[in-house]
Amino acid sequence: MIMMIQIEDIIYNPLLRGIFGLCLMGGVFLGAMAVVWFERKLSADIQQRYGPMRTGFHGLLQLVADAIKLFTKEDIIPKNADRLLFVSAPILLMGSVFLMLVAIPFGAIIINGETYPIVATDMDISILYIEAVSAISVIGIFMIAYSSNNKYSLLGAFRNFARMIGYEVPLGICIVSVAIMAGSLNIIEIAQAQSPLWFIIKQPIGFFVFFIALMADMGRLPFDQNESEEELIAGWITEYTGMRFGLGFFAEYIHLILGSMLIVLLFLGGWNLPAALTSNVILGIILPTAFYLGKVALVILTIIMIRWAVPRYRIDQVVDLSWKRLLPLALLNLGWVIALGLLGV
Amino acid sequence: MSGIIDISNIANSYIPVAIILIVALLMPPMTMFLVKSLSPRSKSSAKYTTYEAGSLPIGSARIQFNVGYYLYAIAFVLFDIEVLFLYPWATIFKGHGITEIATVEMLVFIFVVLFGYVYLVKKEALKWMK
Repeated sequence: MIMMIQIEDIIYNPLLRGIFGLCLMGGVFLGAMAVVWFERKLSADIQQRYGPMRTGFHGLLQLVADAIKLFTKEDIIPKNADRLLFVSAPILLMGSVFLMLVAIPFGAIIINGETYPIVATDMDISILYIEAVSAISVIGIFMIAYSSNNKYSLLGAFRNFARMIGYEVPLGICIVSVAIMAGSLNIIEIAQAQSPLWFIIKQPIGFFVFFIALMADMGRLPFDQNESEEELIAGWITEYTGMRFGLGFFAEYIHLILGSMLIVLLFLGGWNLPAALTSNVILGIILPTAFYLGKVALVILTIIMIRWAVPRYRIDQVVDLSWKRLLPLALLNLGWVIALGLLGV
Repeated sequence: MSGIIDISNIANSYIPVAIILIVALLMPPMTMFLVKSLSPRSKSSAKYTTYEAGSLPIGSARIQFNVGYYLYAIAFVLFDIEVLFLYPWATIFKGHGITEIATVEMLVFIFVVLFGYVYLVKKEALKWMK
């Protein structure tokens, strides 16, 4: 009994949780590197190339080589740039993704039927908080583009704004629909509420809209109009070189991982498994997290394959898609969820 | 759920946020400091010009131009605030014995905003301006 109290003390100590969050931060960095390697290999495969092959087994050490290259590249700040904004903008991007990471669970451990989510902090309004901090990255992107004093960067940033203001709304309405069904804004309770039936089955339109809106939110192709390298050089990040570019690049990939986690948590059932499978102590520790991370990997795989299969939209088409198609669909889904709620499903 | 908000508990759940925030704010400057100490330096004036595919940029990039979507921006503010009002309602929708009355009230609210949306579409405010 005394032993149990000590474990609870350790689990709920906020300082230790903060340090645990830092470990998760390191983990997600490694995850982002793995995703970069994976995307390079997969895109090469789709285009019938080999991709990185020389460094290590099938280019596995390519990321280490890239990291060394980024660290030893000269840091260039253009003389027309606004130095203060130029230097501080990546802080905003990184801050945004890391603040998202704090509230997102990375799996769960089930011991004796009790669920302990692997998460840095557990707050009542975590989904609202995640949406709020993820929107900060738009300001970071605009700061990067405005401080660069480059026309291409600025065009990319304006496109980014046009896209973001379109997709935040359907995204928010879909999150509200999920919150109604789960009766909570806590992301852990939302995941737990999908125990018998995943929300993708209960509200398929919601999943469809959320998936598209989140891809636009993360700036993945076909929604990377802010970057569109064929027309805008590199869009918002044109003037950034070396590690400064690396920071923005990594922020995007971490956002991809965290966004995929959100999809799994909100619609694909999180870590829920039949109770019979997790009754064993060892299986209860391993299986839920493995199941959850496996689904996250599948979502990332899907998003990467969509990137290499679908061409980029024009910016006015993208804006039309969000305001004239996704927004009514999201409202329709909200009505569907309200109807289900009145029927007591 | 009990209706009494435990302040110390809420504060506790935000301490990890503060820790991560400090690290996230320090990480990019630390990385750049590391880069500064590792990377070589060579000065040449061409290196510090704005990148524009070889040609010199004409004038500043910070000019005023018609963004073509300011009406979207206004509509965005409207709808984003609408969604914000939906959040507290979503949490009490079930299990508080007020499902019916809450639904009616919120449907009236959504209908008003939807009316505004239809008005915007009919007025062709949501049309990309050339």
